[in-house]
Amino acid sequence: MATETYAVDAEDVVKLFGKQRALDGVTLRVRRGEVYGLLGPNGAGKTTLIRSLVGLVAPEAGTVSVLGHRMPQLDVLAHVGYMTQQAALYPDLSAEENVHFFGAIYGRVDGVRDALELVDLWDRRKSVVASLSGGMRTRCSLACALVHKPDLLLLDEPTVGVDPQLRVQLWDRFRKMAAEGTTIVVSSHVMDEAERCDRLGLIRFGKLLAEGSVAEIKAKAGVDRLEEAFLKLSEVSPA
Amino acid sequence: MNARRVEAITQRLLHQFRRDRRTLALLFGAPLVILGLLGYLLRGGGDVPKMGAVNLDSGQLGSLVASTLEGSKTVSASSMSQADAETRLRSGDIAGYVLLPADFTAQVQQHRVVAPEVHLEGSQPGLSQSILQSVSQSFVSLASQAGGVQFTPRVSFLYGGPSFDTLDYFGAAFIGLVVFFLVFVITAVAFLRERGQGTLERLMASPLRRAEIVLGYMLGFTVLALVQSAEVLAFSLLVLHVHNVGNVALIFLLEALMAIAAVNLGIFLSMFARTEFQAVQFIPLVIVPQVLLAGIIFPISTEPGPLQWLSHVLPLTYAVEGLRNIMIKGADLTWSTLQLDVGVVLGFCVLVILAGAATLRRRIA
Ligand SMILES: Nc1ncnc2c1ncn2[C@@H]1O[C@H](COP(=O)(O)OP(=O)(O)OP(=O)(O)O)[C@@H](O)[C@H]1O
Ligand SMILES: [Mg+2]
Repeated sequence: MATETYAVDAEDVVKLFGKQRALDGVTLRVRRGEVYGLLGPNGAGKTTLIRSLVGLVAPEAGTVSVLGHRMPQLDVLAHVGYMTQQAALYPDLSAEENVHFFGAIYGRVDGVRDALELVDLWDRRKSVVASLSGGMRTRCSLACALVHKPDLLLLDEPTVGVDPQLRVQLWDRFRKMAAEGTTIVVSSHVMDEAERCDRLGLIRFGKLLAEGSVAEIKAKAGVDRLEEAFLKLSEVSPA
Repeated sequence: MNARRVEAITQRLLHQFRRDRRTLALLFGAPLVILGLLGYLLRGGGDVPKMGAVNLDSGQLGSLVASTLEGSKTVSASSMSQADAETRLRSGDIAGYVLLPADFTAQVQQHRVVAPEVHLEGSQPGLSQSILQSVSQSFVSLASQAGGVQFTPRVSFLYGGPSFDTLDYFGAAFIGLVVFFLVFVITAVAFLRERGQGTLERLMASPLRRAEIVLGYMLGFTVLALVQSAEVLAFSLLVLHVHNVGNVALIFLLEALMAIAAVNLGIFLSMFARTEFQAVQFIPLVIVPQVLLAGIIFPISTEPGPLQWLSHVLPLTYAVEGLRNIMIKGADLTWSTLQLDVGVVLGFCVLVILAGAATLRRRIA
């Protein structure tokens, strides 16, 4: 499996919700050990794209391969971590019980402590999720996504509501995980996070409008602030 | 109190209902279904209990009583031999028979007493009551012909006995019903919550197989359901002293099967609801008709024909009948009726397990 160049290889993926083209021919290739950022306005198709990678969305057209396996494929999901946009947790269980449960699903309960420490929830591990603050719930949800030390980590807006200090800390950990070989696909609206990605994809109206490293994107738009580049490149009207 | 704010809430609720066609349909459809069913059950001109009249009398008074009974509208009586009556009573074909002895006419004329033997099947107090009433009415007309007579029937029961009351009859059925009902509701709501809070999506993105999800749920809730079944059973037998001549382990087995069926029915039906609110709506749709038609309150043999047919399709009917066979008649697994009951409930379990697993789609969009 490790011989595959691409951790994610999606080609011409089309997904319709009724008449709505949530994905309109997206081709996405993410190399192993890369941190890939998906940027785009609300309703652009980021979540739909990520869900199609784990087989939660059945595309009308196109193919998706993950870690060298054509999706949908159940066993490859053992090596994928998926953090949903809304914190998906059992509110009546404690933080630790939640992480432990997802660890057990993947047969990796040994990662519980690491995961909780990573998101700085070890001290609050006995707290019932319903009693945690919003940002803490997001962190707990993140811990659940990486408890099994996946090769591919899909994060849908992982740092919404997380305080700046911890956000910086988390990104340091993401970079460290990437250096150890984990591939990370992360959606975000936050530009300073985007700056820390190896490559960025700009998505809008279900299309990948531009792709490249931060420097490439800035050069393409002819501006030197990522925010401006982002606005400029997404001015393209829908086809 | 601000009227506009109150109005805002009222308006919002009505708007929400307008979007929720299913709830509207239920709100206005279910009462008609339930009341219609009840009306049909009670007024639909269903069958009356069947009984036999065994006339051994050499005089003419015996045949007078027998023909009065045969003309009765509250029972459907027919003449038969004693041996015939006895076999038909045991097979459940008739709910009872009256035996008019050889010296019946002589007794009436010499002693002015009638003491006919009334043999009752006994497991359904309602039917026994109808038969006793019809028999005593037939003697009223006798009394008007032969002058005052004293009527003292000698009643014997095949099952149960004179102290066998309504609770004994309902108790057996309710033991199963309570478990089935509660387990169904709890499972359906828990499963929908899993969907609503997004954790189901997370599980779907994991290597879990759907059979594993269904099985995990089934085992978790079955543990709860079994404890509940044991509690209900113990309470019924030890505190309420519900009549039981059967094997407690068998009762528990049937209850456990019902609990497993309820868990899977809950999982299966929760696929067709989007919210917990909608799941609760399955109660009047799924549970109430079964309660009315499974023979829990109204004996199936006295239902109007089309409803009897429906009753024989509902799995709860067999569960209830099985529990009554065990507790009232002392049936064990060598009885073919109990084999059928357990078989149907088992089959239903398998069916809903498969249905649950099949509808839990891997892809949820
Ligand atoms: N389950 C669904 N049913 C119908 N339409 C959907 C569904 N999921 C997404 N869509 C539609 O697909 C489009 C893309 O949605 P998606 O959730 O992928 O956007 P997004 O980029 O993640 O937005 P956000 O930044 O708000 O999270 C939207 O127009 C949305 O309305
Ligand atoms: Mg999204």
